[in-house]
Amino acid sequence: MISTILLLGTILSTVPGRIEDVAGSVRRNVLLPIGQTLDRLLAPVDRALQPVADGYNRRLGTYFGEMTGLQFALIFGALIALLTAGLWAPLVSGSLLRTLALASIWAIFAMSWDIQSGYTGYISFGHSVLSAAAGYTTALLLVHVNPELSLWITAPISVLAALVLGLLIALPSLRLEGPYFSLITFVAVLLFYRLTTAFTSLGGIPGFSSPDVFTWDPTMRYYYMLVPMLLIALALTFMARSNLGMILVAIRENESAVSAAGINPTKFKIWSFALSSIPMGIGGVLLVGFTGNVDPHTFVIVDNSIEMIAMAVIGGMSSILGPLGGAFLFEFLNHEVLHGFSTPVRYLFLWGLVLLVLVFARDGLFRMIWHRLGAVRGENE
Amino acid sequence: MSVLEVDGLTKRFGGLVAVDDFSLDVEQGEIVGLIGPNGSGKSTVFNCIMSIYDVTEGTIQFNGDAITDDKTHEIVNKGLSRVSQESNPIDLYPVAGNIKLFTLPNSIRSLRGGASDEEIYEYAARIDIEDKLQEMPDELPHADVRRLEIAKALATEPEMLLLDEPFAGMNQAEINELAGQIERFREEGMTIVVVDHNMGGLMNLVDRVVVLNNGEMLAAGSPEEIAENQRVQEAYLAGEGL
Repeated sequence: MISTILLLGTILSTVPGRIEDVAGSVRRNVLLPIGQTLDRLLAPVDRALQPVADGYNRRLGTYFGEMTGLQFALIFGALIALLTAGLWAPLVSGSLLRTLALASIWAIFAMSWDIQSGYTGYISFGHSVLSAAAGYTTALLLVHVNPELSLWITAPISVLAALVLGLLIALPSLRLEGPYFSLITFVAVLLFYRLTTAFTSLGGIPGFSSPDVFTWDPTMRYYYMLVPMLLIALALTFMARSNLGMILVAIRENESAVSAAGINPTKFKIWSFALSSIPMGIGGVLLVGFTGNVDPHTFVIVDNSIEMIAMAVIGGMSSILGPLGGAFLFEFLNHEVLHGFSTPVRYLFLWGLVLLVLVFARDGLFRMIWHRLGAVRGENE
Repeated sequence: MSVLEVDGLTKRFGGLVAVDDFSLDVEQGEIVGLIGPNGSGKSTVFNCIMSIYDVTEGTIQFNGDAITDDKTHEIVNKGLSRVSQESNPIDLYPVAGNIKLFTLPNSIRSLRGGASDEEIYEYAARIDIEDKLQEMPDELPHADVRRLEIAKALATEPEMLLLDEPFAGMNQAEINELAGQIERFREEGMTIVVVDHNMGGLMNLVDRVVVLNNGEMLAAGSPEEIAENQRVQEAYLAGEGL
């Protein structure tokens, strides 16, 4: 028995070495030549697009970050593809527009999580409580105040509710250092979940079905989700590329250095949470308009909070656009590629992917692609 | 006029008294050396002044303002800056970015403030790392990382600088060069306290020396007096030489 265990131990201990050898030879013999070929093919494209990118860099580079020719092509291409999806997506698959609309909402969540958790390093495990606050506020207003209230009234109040709850969580917890913040956010979402299921006045398990969806037209619905998402992406990218982003990253890397710089880290941590709560609230309002139902499973459960983190991790934390890409990849895999499988199997695969990214590509897939594109320079040829 | 007044400072960690009833006055334009064997409480004094630690007893005034209960960033914004013993640059940012962070205003509305490239160059030039601005901190030799720490402190435009073991790990040529630069800061009007565990780098730099031993003030006087002080020599006998 013992010798079997020892034998097994010996075999297992050689496995990591083997894996490294294999990974090394794969890198040398497969990835490197592919990379070099891609470089050769893409360098002229990069050079050709550089003047356009330079035009952008001169006007907007300071505000949203500078780009190389290829990076500009990726962003511009993705933007055009998203804006014209109403035309081409139905030709690809009947459900694609729905998937893209859902991905837009989740992209808002992932980016909102990122500006706070990804940038400051104070990881929130309970962000879904913010979108839930907005969703439940909308539902409660319709049920208990007036079912005829217009979106123009319910939406701002709902976003405000997300902000207020965000501040309630952030004000006491972000004064603390270390793991307390993460634990408090985690407890907050568990509390909110039990609250919504315990009291029928809060809808209980079935929730509220009284809110209306924005529209039944899939194309219109998609644009209702896409346009706010793009505006939020623009606003958060602008913030992240400013002094604010610099200070938030510095808090993550070395909080005491931020104090030594004469900057109040607590104030900036709380501000980042507020800045995150507002788009979380907008996302919550959109989710109501997408599903037409406000219930614990759609809005509150802690799985939602973890899914946002997964999307940000897959795309690349602390980059805003990485989590955006991560959300679209996650939802595309979930609802288009894997739609034939049962929910548990789909999530088994998706969490496996998150684990792989965490182990092998810690900067995230989209950040990796972004830096790879940036490294293709015409002059290298 | 006293720029910094530390009065009856006591710091206890549980049962351990790290600093015991320590007082220190620093005049405008002075360079004061604060020395003592390892573990004598020098860095604790700095940490109390900068509010890294809460003070157990005693008061600290800067320019007549009580700063005992201020937060670190408030003290920095009042014109007191400390260069700590450990270098802690942010490795994600180049030297210029590390300096820039220290010029950013403490305001969530200021999205585009902070020093211009020319101003960052000026801060770096005062400590001779202006040709390293685009390098990453982890590529710099030790002495340049230490210079970066000083450049960061300069970028907060301090009236007074607390230097914690600035010469540690430097060779004699680097020590002489840095001592010259510190002397220049004084000529520009800055007041400076330098902590060191021996007199090596301080002898020709400081106006006077305060000696700390086991958290208490042991002696004070000119560098020459301290070098010959019997009690100071005995205190150091336990550890390394003066």
